[in-house]
Amino acid sequence: MKRPLRWNIALGVVLLLLAALVLAPFWFVLTGSVKDPAEIIARLPTMIPDNFTLQHYTKLLAASDYPIYMLNSLLVATASTLVTLGLAIPAGYAFFRMSFRGRETLYRAILLAYAFPSIVILIPLFGIFAKLGLVDSRLALVLVNVAFALPFAIWLLRSFFAGIPVEIEEAARLDGGAPFTVLRRIMIPLVAPGIAAVAVFAFVTAWTEYVFASVLILSDDKRPVPVGFSGIIGQYQIDWGLLLAGASLSILPVVILFAFVGRWFVAGLTEGAVK
Amino acid sequence: MKLPRHILPFAFIAPAILFLAALLLWPLGQAVVLSLQDVRSVGMPGRWVGLENYAEVLTDGDFWSASWLSLLWVVTNAVLQTVLALVAALALNQNFPGVRIARTWIVLTWIIPTVVVVMIWRWLFSTSGGIVNPLLMQSGLTDAPVGFFARPGTAFATLVFINSWRWFPFITLMMLAGLTRIPGDLFEAARIDGAGPWKRFSRITWPLLAPTLGVLLVIGTLLSFNVFDIIWLLTAGGPADGTRTLPVLIYETAFKSYRMSEAAAVAVLATVFLMGFALIATRWLARPPEAR
Repeated sequence: MKRPLRWNIALGVVLLLLAALVLAPFWFVLTGSVKDPAEIIARLPTMIPDNFTLQHYTKLLAASDYPIYMLNSLLVATASTLVTLGLAIPAGYAFFRMSFRGRETLYRAILLAYAFPSIVILIPLFGIFAKLGLVDSRLALVLVNVAFALPFAIWLLRSFFAGIPVEIEEAARLDGGAPFTVLRRIMIPLVAPGIAAVAVFAFVTAWTEYVFASVLILSDDKRPVPVGFSGIIGQYQIDWGLLLAGASLSILPVVILFAFVGRWFVAGLTEGAVK
Repeated sequence: MKLPRHILPFAFIAPAILFLAALLLWPLGQAVVLSLQDVRSVGMPGRWVGLENYAEVLTDGDFWSASWLSLLWVVTNAVLQTVLALVAALALNQNFPGVRIARTWIVLTWIIPTVVVVMIWRWLFSTSGGIVNPLLMQSGLTDAPVGFFARPGTAFATLVFINSWRWFPFITLMMLAGLTRIPGDLFEAARIDGAGPWKRFSRITWPLLAPTLGVLLVIGTLLSFNVFDIIWLLTAGGPADGTRTLPVLIYETAFKSYRMSEAAAVAVLATVFLMGFALIATRWLARPPEAR
């Protein structure tokens, strides 16, 4: 459909404002992380750095536990993603491809997980984990992150499973495939984009979680990035260069992941949502 | 091994259900138990006190001021997020060069840790250095730096802005789902009949998008209510308790005052509010539009 010129201008203005709103903060952080300390707090902010320096990154990587935090976060987020996938795929398959009694009720019960404040379970969960000896372990973080990602992960798979023609599955079953084999050989390859969407969601959920990690992890060498990073903020009140470098590095893994499979996540949200 | 046909689906679902029951439902039940007891420290056996904690909480001014702030927080965020998302979704629903990239990368604000979001905005809004204050002073809007987090009102408004900035792209994508589902033929037919852009929006887009907007307002409300980390890391509920919403109050009561049972009572009350809201809202949305 052709648009008249004035609508093109309006669209252009809105898109520019949108880009500025979303991207400008990141631009200032990324460029700030390679500026001289003096330039960072200059009265007139510079769009493009006058001087390029890696001193903040060197300091961050050499003098703080940041590399350990990154490693912890990568471990926890990867494990959380794998466990979420392992639980969500069979559940999603059953919910959206099989009919059974109580299906709707169970499905709604899962979605109710979104209707309570997650902080409610922080206190009891701490007690339960303390009894099981899980406090101050990365496993505790994996369990919590999976619990937070799982309900939405199942929901995300909905449109991907629903979009597969019944005939394909029936043909596979007539050929004598056992249900688990059908799921593994036929369904999983067909819903691969949906699995990518769930993986992004689970990884991001784990990568960004702060509150539970800050309570459940006690020792410094087990901290994930969000907790470790907030510790650095506390230690070096005004070293903005160090903080900007840390912020830039913490964005990196999710940006890389998103560059590869982000479009599937977007497809999952835009196609699966609000049906 | 061959499972009977009616058991089979449950074999697929059971691991996920059991996991959620153990990590969400069981602790939720424990929270209810905790709220009926007097517990001094985690793990210690409690003394049953019935509804005493609830009576205490409900007669406490802190609870009511936090409830009020939570309500204000949810409404302002839901409105700002939805408006921003609607504008963004309408723009991203158009065809222009680079639209795929724009649609994928708009969620950038959501994929980064909250701590980083917080740090970015603390720096941008900072009174020493930062970007916002120099810009405001350059353009002559103010002659002294604005302390965005210094007063309760501005701190609250600033937090609403930051939180909405964080979440509106997520809502935008879901709104795009509603928009892409409107058949293009409708617009074409309306255009041939001579309907202008505004008429096409008000007669086609808006009515067809309204149910989606309703669902997204509910989702936005639930998301906003639960926000704790942004508030805690930026203002910790201050200044002068001006940003102490219910989740902040729960956290403070439990982990700063170590009054676990009272915190659990507040948490249970908040859960009841939220579940009640979710149930009423979904019922209302499930009704046909004419009956509303």
